Amino acid sequence: MYEHLETAANPAGLKRVVVDPVSRVEGHGKVTLLLDAENRVQQARLHIVEFRGFEKFIQGRPYWELPVLVQRLCGICPVSHHLAAAKAIDQLVGIDPADLPPAADKLRRLLHFGQVLQSHALHFFYLSSPDLLFGFDSEIGKRSVVAVLADYPDIGLQGVKLRKYGQEVIRMVSGKRVHGTGAIPGGMNKALSREERDYLLQDIGQIVDWAQAAVALIKRVHGADRAFNDAFATIRSNYLSLVKADGALELYHGGIRAKNADGATLFDHYDYCAYPELIREEVRSWTYMKFPYLTALGKADGWYRVGPLARINNCDFIDTPLAEAARVEFKQQLADQGLVHSTLAFHWARMIELLHCAESIQALLHDPDLLSGELVAQGSKRYEGIGVIEAPRGTLFHHYQIDDNDIVTKANLIVSTTSNNTGMNESVRQVAAAYLSGRELTEPLLNQLEVAIRAYDPCLSCATHAVGKMPLQVELVDAAGQVVDRLTRHGNGEFARGDAG
Amino acid sequence: MSGTLTIDGKTIPFAAGQSVIEAARCAGIYIPHLCHKPGYAPHGSCKLCTVFVNGRKTSACTYPAAADQNVVSDTPELQQDRLRLTQMLFVEGNHFCPSCEKSGNCQLQGVAYHLRMLDNHYPHFYPQRQVDASHPDILLDHNRCIFCNLCVRASRDHDGKNVFAIAGRGINKRLIVNSASGQLKDSDISIDDQATQVCPTGAILVKRTGYQVPIGERWYDRQPISELALGKEDSHER
Amino acid sequence: MSAKIKIATTSLAGCFGCHMSFLDIDERITELAEVVEFDRSPLTDIEHCGPCDIGLIEGGVCNSENVHVLREFRKNCKTLVAVGACAINGGLPALRNFVSVEECLLEAYRDGIGIDNPQIPSDPELPLLLDKVHPIHEIVKVDYFMPGCPPSADVFWTFLSALIAGREPKLPYELVHYD
Repeated sequence: MYEHLETAANPAGLKRVVVDPVSRVEGHGKVTLLLDAENRVQQARLHIVEFRGFEKFIQGRPYWELPVLVQRLCGICPVSHHLAAAKAIDQLVGIDPADLPPAADKLRRLLHFGQVLQSHALHFFYLSSPDLLFGFDSEIGKRSVVAVLADYPDIGLQGVKLRKYGQEVIRMVSGKRVHGTGAIPGGMNKALSREERDYLLQDIGQIVDWAQAAVALIKRVHGADRAFNDAFATIRSNYLSLVKADGALELYHGGIRAKNADGATLFDHYDYCAYPELIREEVRSWTYMKFPYLTALGKADGWYRVGPLARINNCDFIDTPLAEAARVEFKQQLADQGLVHSTLAFHWARMIELLHCAESIQALLHDPDLLSGELVAQGSKRYEGIGVIEAPRGTLFHHYQIDDNDIVTKANLIVSTTSNNTGMNESVRQVAAAYLSGRELTEPLLNQLEVAIRAYDPCLSCATHAVGKMPLQVELVDAAGQVVDRLTRHGNGEFARGDAG
Repeated sequence: MSGTLTIDGKTIPFAAGQSVIEAARCAGIYIPHLCHKPGYAPHGSCKLCTVFVNGRKTSACTYPAAADQNVVSDTPELQQDRLRLTQMLFVEGNHFCPSCEKSGNCQLQGVAYHLRMLDNHYPHFYPQRQVDASHPDILLDHNRCIFCNLCVRASRDHDGKNVFAIAGRGINKRLIVNSASGQLKDSDISIDDQATQVCPTGAILVKRTGYQVPIGERWYDRQPISELALGKEDSHER
Repeated sequence: MSAKIKIATTSLAGCFGCHMSFLDIDERITELAEVVEFDRSPLTDIEHCGPCDIGLIEGGVCNSENVHVLREFRKNCKTLVAVGACAINGGLPALRNFVSVEECLLEAYRDGIGIDNPQIPSDPELPLLLDKVHPIHEIVKVDYFMPGCPPSADVFWTFLSALIAGREPKLPYELVHYD
């Protein structure tokens, strides 16, 4: 749709605009735009500028370290990496998901629901609610969770406490809120104690209520300006996610389903252990983040989006009643034919999942299997393990090979945000083309580029935005490299504009 | 010979043949240490247990207790020395606590916690060290070796096998394995050996047993090393 | 009325787990907001950066931009705090110090599974990688250290409460962890 804006035909002589950083996206990211003399956008790119090299340096380590080691990829969704790696190393000890003891399976699911709940609450309330409650072009000083807590104390505190609850679920299962332990090859290292279970039961009713309120809130916000919210940063894409065998929404384990933009099923219940045949990743010179695509459709047409919107689009139903009702309403309101493509609808889908997690935790906490029973299953060694899970931001692939000595010899990780790479770039180009092109450099442009990226909840966006205002500087540079215009947003939210120098 | 001595102003008894550190331990006084272990021949290499005996600095683990000794251990100066020695151990090896399966049960960590070590102070060496995973049941990760010599003593004096030795000097110092190939798989070591169990850090580990103890239930989650090390026979140090 | 204490934070080569742990102070954020103003991080607006009272640095230093940001933080923050394992000793990203940068890049962009159009990304927009990951105290003077992967919310709370009150921060035994 906007691929033509990825690379300008003749970059020489174009003006360069930098938005740096837009957000922390798996590290540090920035957007660059190239404009012609009439300020028409000729090129727009989201660059991921950090590289850490986990796939190489975990080679040589024993496989049982992986769930604890690779969760350090991400402090926001460490549990997702912990569990994706755990599912992979289960296979290394000969345990397939169906062989996991029920107690271990349920403890992992509880842990994962806690993770998705806290991550979604973090993103919505700490990061996006300022945009959504005060407006994209509101006074910048308003755009932080601190301002939300001041002006909407009820909403703000509910968000803080929703996230807190998810973090407490994680702590009860894994010993720590961030980077705990829990999953070991073939199972888990501890059951939930009665006291821990009772502690979590105390507040779960309230959490379900607040999650419902969050769905109502985003419905109201999205509905307030339907035309704009449906169109903003919106692109048509394929969608990929896990689903349960019966087609229900699934976050922990299932087969892969993909649909095309028209809603037709591309494949269904695909065994994720065969993912190398399904997906390839293209490298481009200007960013460290690769571009995954479905092999069968090819590079140009095979890119897809993952995450809450993909999951809600792909599933046939949700197996918890309140979230299912919310899903039905979401589809009724937003899907003209089949699928919802609105990028801002990611937020709505995310809150439906938040509610699903709260309901699922409530149901699980009444399951006596959490408190006792076998925790670890044993099988015979294999040399390759693949674990796939639905992380808060989408499908997450972990793939390892080991040698006779239990040492990792090969690793491949496709993290959720990577799968959304083309989607985010397309959304940036859409916003650049629709809202910037041909216009003078203005303040709302800045936030709109951010809003587009933020809808995808790229992994590290929270850090700056969560504890302050996202700092931004846009420079307009002429072909000779001279800064001809500069717009800066200060920490106090004020804007300054002026010539360089 | 037995009698009493004073340590940090407190009079304690000692038995014949006891070292200062052992007399202190029996009296409920913790002196930080890493290369010392009750029941093992003293080695005196880590220097953490350095104390003043009658005004002279010496290793409490090698110095025989004697009547009327005046031992000084808990002073800011000595604690600072211990902190710096511990920091050197951290920067000379590759101690990545966040992912290490020994974390929470590691004596190097336990001592550092005791000393309230918040940083590593010195520039990191990041030395290139190997992992010997050749043995089917035992992992030898040289990254975490602090050259305490306990495995050497365990294998020689307790297992009767002589599997390990320390070779080289200074930055080239390394733990070596007594086998034709130099690999653990070709040595006599077995999973029940004291040499397999004695390592204070995560350098020698039984394979496939990591992370089984939940956070909160590991040694130093529950109790500081200064209390655990005073237990009967230093039980927490296996 | 004196201004609030200004705190700036950034993540260099880290995972944002420390920032997450900071947010784990939960409702106490409202209490903190009464005495503290969260400044932007100076990394994108160096010329206009006002002085900050406290700078919290998560992550080690792995590329040229990290060095630049860290130096700017040092210049602008009265008190600079290394937060978490990566800032203090490089953390797990420093595991790449045992492999060459080239090998890491080749694995990710040429020799990996399912790679198409293999090439090592190279673009003026991408900062140069350092050959090793470094703890921040090897680049700038650091005033305080908060260990942990990440430090718990109570560490942040204890530490910041002391700094804000003008006391020397002290962590009790239970709050000192390296994992």
